[in-house]
Amino acid sequence: MGRLLALRTLESILEMLMSEIRYGKATLPESCGQLAQRLPEPYSRCLREVQLEAGKGASFQEVFCLQMEACMRELPLKREDRELFLQSFQGQGFRDGAMQLKRLEQGLSQLAGRIGLLEQEQREKCRIAVGLGAMSGLLLLIILI
Amino acid sequence: MQESLLQLFPRDRQPFWSHVFRSGESIREIRLRIDRPVLVQRAEGECFLDEQGNFTNDAGCAHRTGQRELEEILMHICHDSPYAFEDELRQGFITVPGGHRVGVAGQAVLEEDGKLRTIKYIHYINIRIAHQVFGVAEPLLPRVYRDGQLQNTLIVSPPGCGKTTLLRELVRRISDGNAYGEGLSVGVVDERSELAGSYLGRPQNDLGSRTDVLDACPKILGMMLLLRSMSPRVIAVDELGDDRDVAALRAAAACGSRILATVHGTDIGDVADRFPKLGEAALFACVIVLGKQGGQPVVKQVYGGEEAACAFSGWNHDRERMPGLRPVVSGAVRGKAFGFAHSGVDFGNAHE
Repeated sequence: MGRLLALRTLESILEMLMSEIRYGKATLPESCGQLAQRLPEPYSRCLREVQLEAGKGASFQEVFCLQMEACMRELPLKREDRELFLQSFQGQGFRDGAMQLKRLEQGLSQLAGRIGLLEQEQREKCRIAVGLGAMSGLLLLIILI
Repeated sequence: MQESLLQLFPRDRQPFWSHVFRSGESIREIRLRIDRPVLVQRAEGECFLDEQGNFTNDAGCAHRTGQRELEEILMHICHDSPYAFEDELRQGFITVPGGHRVGVAGQAVLEEDGKLRTIKYIHYINIRIAHQVFGVAEPLLPRVYRDGQLQNTLIVSPPGCGKTTLLRELVRRISDGNAYGEGLSVGVVDERSELAGSYLGRPQNDLGSRTDVLDACPKILGMMLLLRSMSPRVIAVDELGDDRDVAALRAAAACGSRILATVHGTDIGDVADRFPKLGEAALFACVIVLGKQGGQPVVKQVYGGEEAACAFSGWNHDRERMPGLRPVVSGAVRGKAFGFAHSGVDFGNAHE
């Protein structure tokens, strides 16, 4: 459940980033600064750090990957989840805004796919749990009778 | 300022540039060209930079900018987000924190209709360092005010003679109030982000306490917008482009706002030729002409009152009958240094 929640937050980070770029034509570090004000810890701290470091001369891609990796380690995420999210930030620096958005969109759809799979998995687990619960209840009833 | 300049360069190049900025506070321009020596324009003159970041006059031992280095600098200036600077790149320059201006040149990419889409293969970068020179407007204030009222003022100047610096300082003094008039609310339409040098919407230069800045907005659009939204007593715009800008200024003046504007030009005749509507409008009651003398920016002439209006209309309608326009400023003011090379400002006695 924690993993699904963390993935949904990552999904919303990408959505908000896309919105900042599409609507405000914001740079990536600037968008991170905006997001830092809206997100809870530890995302907020990490994104603020990204904006600060990028402003001081560090490469955005490097500092983003470094900070987000550290941030995501605190969360109940698997290695492949972290890699999937960071993949969206590989090869940034497009001159065409539409292309930049497309890149983030790809990451978003992959993340949404993973969330869909997890939700399906959880639904199945839930169904199994309900089934097992009902069966064990029935078994208990038979034993008691 | 050193900090804001250092932030223009990627982290691995910062020690080099830190050395440069420590040893040369009078740097005005840095020119980076691919495979060419780095050229620095200082108050003392032009020079190169060696591999350690020291100033040198020997081009042979100068540091040459590599393609990768140039690309990294540009990418860093764009915050790794060139898409966000699409419009700026189309105009050929980017304004960065501190109000500095980074000009670029490379290969133009055109739209089907012939308009410029972008510039690619950017192999030339010119970093113009912003200087806010406090006090330069002081000797001109008595010319700009008449009977305690601010006059519509036009600053005419060739590039690099300080028209933006003077306008910025006039805005600040008018906004804060001065010995000749109380503080007025000023609306600045900063189309090229040069006056306020805004970064993330926050002005990096001091434009006074009663100034509202509309950043990166076309002048025509911005003036009307400011008039409606902020009702400024004074509207300031930099670098009039064509007669459409003049028409917008007229509209603003008709709404009761005073006007401060600058325009490229060597003299009043040059401006009158390019802006026929300026004469018709008789908009400006004070015209300040800047120029250079001995490499230093100077005030060449100041036209005031009716002379300013006559000057334009004279040039437009009957140039033969007005062979020599009569500057209303004294000889003491004319030709005096404009105050870039030294901290003190020396215009002489502007009160005549």
